[in-house]
Amino acid sequence: MQLHELSVREIASGVRGRKFSALEVFEDCLGRSAACEGKVSALITTTADAGRQRARRIDERIARGEDPGPLAGVPVILKDNICTRGVRTTAGSRILGDWAPPYDATVWALLQDAGAVLLGKSNMDEFAMGNTCGTSAFGPTANPWDVARVPGGSSGGSAAAVAAGYVPFALGSDTGGSIRQPASYCGICGLKPTYGMVSRYGLIAYGSSLDQIGPFTRNVGDMALVMGLLARQDPKDSTSTCGTRGECFAELQDDLKGRRVALVRDFRDFTLDPGISEAMKKTIAALERAGAEMMEVSLPTVGRYAVACYYAIAASEAHTNLARFDGVRYGYTVNSSAGMKDMFQEVRSHGFGSEVKSRIIAGTCLTEPVRSEQYYVAATRVRTLIAREFAEAFENADCILQPVTPSLAPKIGEVDDDAMKGYESDLYTLPVNMAGLPGYSFRAGTDADSGLPVGLQLVGPRWSDGRLLSAGLALEKILGAPVIAGGGN
Amino acid sequence: MKLDSDEVRAIAMEGRLSLTDAELQGAVRYINNFLEMVDRFKELDLKDVEPFAFAESVECPLREDVVGVFRDRDEILAARPATGPFFSVPRIMEE
Repeated sequence: MQLHELSVREIASGVRGRKFSALEVFEDCLGRSAACEGKVSALITTTADAGRQRARRIDERIARGEDPGPLAGVPVILKDNICTRGVRTTAGSRILGDWAPPYDATVWALLQDAGAVLLGKSNMDEFAMGNTCGTSAFGPTANPWDVARVPGGSSGGSAAAVAAGYVPFALGSDTGGSIRQPASYCGICGLKPTYGMVSRYGLIAYGSSLDQIGPFTRNVGDMALVMGLLARQDPKDSTSTCGTRGECFAELQDDLKGRRVALVRDFRDFTLDPGISEAMKKTIAALERAGAEMMEVSLPTVGRYAVACYYAIAASEAHTNLARFDGVRYGYTVNSSAGMKDMFQEVRSHGFGSEVKSRIIAGTCLTEPVRSEQYYVAATRVRTLIAREFAEAFENADCILQPVTPSLAPKIGEVDDDAMKGYESDLYTLPVNMAGLPGYSFRAGTDADSGLPVGLQLVGPRWSDGRLLSAGLALEKILGAPVIAGGGN
Repeated sequence: MKLDSDEVRAIAMEGRLSLTDAELQGAVRYINNFLEMVDRFKELDLKDVEPFAFAESVECPLREDVVGVFRDRDEILAARPATGPFFSVPRIMEE
């Protein structure tokens, strides 16, 4: 087995035990990324030199008898909306130019403290707005299982990199499914933690009440290890409210006996690709064999109003968050002698791509005083109904099993002319963000016709992240852990 | 409620965006489809429903009010487009 094929735990243990060096691991992962990158294009920036230096420092510390931490020498990739001090951070947009943040996001500071080594920053839909990784100003990323297909989005670069074996884990962000959907398309594990579990300090904001950072891994044990390090209350983010709840990741229990797993009655009549229906049947059978009790819950408001509610809130928050990009404080600017408004307009009109512009216009429209009550405020009230509906469902059920998407990864360029139809495909992921719940996406099988991976997700009540991963561990033991994709080779 | 191209152009200007004719055409279609989607809210009686807030936000954590000094002023200045020890903006007096 080559070093890039190892798990997070195996690499950290091997480096700490001097079985191999952090530098050897980094070089092997770098080699793997170079072998795939021509076809996959998962990275916007590769940090080869800085990574080598850091890996050498880890090895020096070990030689001195020090312990660099639980992620000693483990290479990682961060989505390019996570700020890294001195390393270009683009959010997949032209408008940031070559902006290199003067500070680290809290998640990256925590990973560095634990001994991780940055290999690069991954491609993403511009400002995380998209579900194909195709709206990036840096071109599309391909799915490492079939390079003619999308890896999903918006964290498509991070998912593709982990699936292809560049690194054993990566971070993404999930505003309406942007971790779970690409994890599903790329056949790996992805966790959208409970809102508040992980600090958002240093994450370039899209929808602040929805955004949450989370990991991609190739097994559930690695997911728990990384989450145990990231789940910290951060004084720099007042919405990080996890307290000591991060302790839930310390030990997973794989016993499903008596666990009540629900299916959503209101999703029953929605069309699914045959491979996804088949994976649902097999996973239900696996859960029952493991002693879980299957039941049904009803989420009628979610089924009918979640998509509209989500896009109203996300666009409204996005137009506010993106108001800061004006050509004064960040990289991309223009010389304008005509005045401030003209300069702002020119910078923003050239700097933003079309999907971002569309959502800014929608957000501006919905929050104008004349329409705000009817649309934005109404959406915040519908959101209350959606959160209540989930809370009621979880009075009877421990978690919900559901698809991540209605269909498998589409081909690159296969985009519906009507954006709203594309938005409808997010129905299974975005309600989770609206209620601030955790959602764990895992590989449940392989589509017999296409050979593409099929992912499903478990959704639980707020702060049940550890219990979701425990259920994920039980399923992984039955269904098998993800394997590394060909990456176009 | 359908918006015409003049209304959409005016909304875009509020967001400091100027659109080409082709972009405007796409934006009109997009925003009208968007409004049709969110018009669904009218089916619901929302008058007694509170706007959403996370339960934990009422126990929003407080921290000590301690002065912190950013470690490197030069790094912030190095990241902005203008040169010199300042941020520069175009003239605003005539607006």
